[in-house]
Amino acid sequence: MMLTFHGISKTFVSERGEVPAVRGVDLAVREGELFVLLGPSGCGKSTVLSLAAGLLSPSSGEIRLDGELVAAPRKKVFVSPRERNVAMVFQSYALYPHLDVFGNIAFPLRVAKGKEESITAEVARAASMLGIGDLLRARPGELSGGQRQRVAIARAIVRKPRLFLLDEPLSNLDAALRAATRAELKRLQRELSVTTLYVTHDQTEAMTLGDRVALMREGRVLQVGTPRELYETPRTPFAGSFIGPAPMNLLDAGVFEEEGRLHLRIGEERVALSPRKAGEVRQLATGRVLLGLRPEQVRISGDPGPPALRGIVVSAEYLGRERLVSVETAGGILTVLTDGEAPNEGDVVALALPIETASVFRPEEGE
Amino acid sequence: MSEERRIRILYTVGAAAMSAFCLLPVAYMVLVAASRRPDVFQAGAEVRLTAGHFLEVLGTESLHFPEYVVNGIAVSGLSAILAVALAAPAAYAVTRLELPGRMSFLFLVLAVSMFPPVSLVSYLFRMMSALGWINTYAALVLPYTAWVLPLSLWILASHFSRIPRDLDRAALLDGCGRLAALRKVMVPVAAPGILSTAILAFIFAFNEFLFALLLTTGRNARTIPVGIALFEGLHGEIPWGMIMAAATLAVVPVVLLVLVFQRGIVAGLTRGAVRE
Amino acid sequence: MRKDHDLRDLLKGYAFLAPVCALLLAFVFLPVAGTLLDSLHRDVSFLPRRFIGLGNYRSMGSDPGFWQSLRFTGLFTLVSVPLELALGLAFALLLEHPTSARGFLRAGVLLPWAIPAAVSGRIFELIYNVQYGLANAIVTGIGLSEGPVHWLGTSAGAFLALVAADAWKTTPFVAILLLAGLSAIPEDLYRQAEVDRAGPLERFFRVTLPLLRPVLVVALLFRTIDSLRVFDLVFVLTGGGPGGSTTSLSMYGYRFFVGGDFGYGSAVSVVLFLLAFLFSLLYLRASRFGREIE
Repeated sequence: MMLTFHGISKTFVSERGEVPAVRGVDLAVREGELFVLLGPSGCGKSTVLSLAAGLLSPSSGEIRLDGELVAAPRKKVFVSPRERNVAMVFQSYALYPHLDVFGNIAFPLRVAKGKEESITAEVARAASMLGIGDLLRARPGELSGGQRQRVAIARAIVRKPRLFLLDEPLSNLDAALRAATRAELKRLQRELSVTTLYVTHDQTEAMTLGDRVALMREGRVLQVGTPRELYETPRTPFAGSFIGPAPMNLLDAGVFEEEGRLHLRIGEERVALSPRKAGEVRQLATGRVLLGLRPEQVRISGDPGPPALRGIVVSAEYLGRERLVSVETAGGILTVLTDGEAPNEGDVVALALPIETASVFRPEEGE
Repeated sequence: MSEERRIRILYTVGAAAMSAFCLLPVAYMVLVAASRRPDVFQAGAEVRLTAGHFLEVLGTESLHFPEYVVNGIAVSGLSAILAVALAAPAAYAVTRLELPGRMSFLFLVLAVSMFPPVSLVSYLFRMMSALGWINTYAALVLPYTAWVLPLSLWILASHFSRIPRDLDRAALLDGCGRLAALRKVMVPVAAPGILSTAILAFIFAFNEFLFALLLTTGRNARTIPVGIALFEGLHGEIPWGMIMAAATLAVVPVVLLVLVFQRGIVAGLTRGAVRE
Repeated sequence: MRKDHDLRDLLKGYAFLAPVCALLLAFVFLPVAGTLLDSLHRDVSFLPRRFIGLGNYRSMGSDPGFWQSLRFTGLFTLVSVPLELALGLAFALLLEHPTSARGFLRAGVLLPWAIPAAVSGRIFELIYNVQYGLANAIVTGIGLSEGPVHWLGTSAGAFLALVAADAWKTTPFVAILLLAGLSAIPEDLYRQAEVDRAGPLERFFRVTLPLLRPVLVVALLFRTIDSLRVFDLVFVLTGGGPGGSTTSLSMYGYRFFVGGDFGYGSAVSVVLFLLAFLFSLLYLRASRFGREIE
């Protein structure tokens, strides 16, 4: 494990009182992996990043970097940022405005009092890796956002850090640049195989970039897993809603037993559950469940078998390749992501519900 | 007449009046300095220009004028540099490090700028006498530095607080300790602000009067304001021409500074005094 | 746990503050404390120093010279501060008006401030000179007076001369303070007033003045403190005369120091200190201290 957080909490004290930004977080980041911290703003992900960097010290818990204890308030241990050999790319890039690009990238090497010849070589290497070799004499003020970001990244990697921290690196780029930069970042990380902690609120970034993703909310880590695990088996309704191209539908369903088998009642429909699904529901030990159905899993079908819900189309949004259709049913409003022919407003449609691949949650967990 | 036109006329008249108000005494000073006789505005007087007064002021050894100028510039320069050098780390600590008690510190510093100099000077005199520093640079530089510290600290703190925190953090991650971050990042980035602060400090020190009056006794350390104030004639009549010539020469440094750094000075003064 | 950085950072922070503290302690607080202590002693040169408690202050009560200087200082402040505020406001309004000459005007306006008070004192000494002075040239030239006015020879004349000289010297500073306040007023408010058919005068009283109030208060207190401790100008222009009628408190205290009476002089300067301190407290409250740094 390159980076571990054990029971880390961080509480800020201000005039307004105490603000717990991070509560009881456990993380283990493997060497060489691109680990994403995903969550809405205010969830504590940036605080976790600052804790890893040493810009903040935890209120309680232990942080280890490459086996070495770098922060432990109880044991009065704290290693300062410069001693951790950790590099960070800030959301604002934080380039030194009084130095040119070469000076910026060379800065950490010069602080470490390296020899000028080797510094020049290292800077050139980092710059060419980021494709900014021809900008070395320019000043940050003259560069575009994308170029500034590359300089920030070059400055971060030039001294071969053991941990690479990125704070929402793509959020300041315009949409067109984002996808390309995303791919480049992934390629770069692979090439350098540097352990990376990446913070974002954008689930697409997390899913495409991350080897593993930690979903955070209100200071806690809700779930850690590969993108696939998070998508297919979200453990909370929040996870289901946050991850995926569109928020998960959450249907209220009653549980009852009939003829020896577990059934669900959704609106007017009754569905018998397969043994596997029944097992999942039984584990929740509750009379009502929230059924999580992804819009892309719900199908508008001309002739759906049970279970199916009938409803009226409330709106149909055109997304290019797909359409986001909202249908009002007895069980509530469902959104459906369809790539086929879209019905029009007012049409009556039937929706096939994929119970088998649906997620089930206890009702209290939903908001 | 349209309102716009009226305003424009009012403005032009106002601006002219304001300029006249500000520049008239200065012009008067220069005129008398360059005239044979000081009665330039009396009825029937003829204005004859001469450089004689200037030459006399510079040339008469017993007046020690050049020495006063040198003293003034040296003492003020040293104080300004020292004040900025001390205020910069303090301003950094106050704005970047969450030090408990930093508000009380600022309060204390601010309070200092409101003390009447006369309440300090007698004790300072005794202090300097005891140290044997009377009439040396040391007697002035140290009190002056202390005197301009509050203003310097406030202006620098205001400049530093405008520099994004991420820049600090980047420096820390890049291997700097706090002092190195101050030296290599904060100071270069805030350089223009630091310069205006130093200039303001210089002007305040240069123009100071009471301390210089009591803590210096002669040409070793006496400064311009005192020199000009005590400028008496050798005979009965006050040599106005010479006095004004000396005054003109004396204000050359500060006038130059003001003309060149007008923008920075205005920014610094407003930052230092208006805390909104 | 309040600290976001470790103990090392905290110590470093205090170390950064230490030199400033040391200097201020040694050359400001110590002298003030020393002066306070001196004021409680009878300390006249050649006589042994003796503790007399509030003796100096008691003598002050029946010292006409003290009351005269107190009266003068008060009157001077009362007259010059409002004058400078009003004039400064006018200047600020003129300086704010966007024109290409703005930089030039500002440099010009800064000149009186940049020139040492002692030097401007001499300039005005000449201006008010009976024989050659500009003032008399103007006054007799316009016909306001038949003969030359002995400005500095009468109490009233000297007082006016001082007020004029001080106004010349410090109005620029006030103007710059107010200028900052003016620039902070959002344009939209003026637009709104225009839409509401308010003339320029109305706009001034309805928008400018109310929004400028905090800055005006700050400038008022700041200038008051400065006025109370006036010394340079008085020393050079009138020397405190005629007959001690224009002696400021600072100057009064100074007289005793020069005369060797450190005890009484210190007592006078302590009174001045307390006066200034009182206004400083008001000033700090009014300027919502520290907001900017936070």
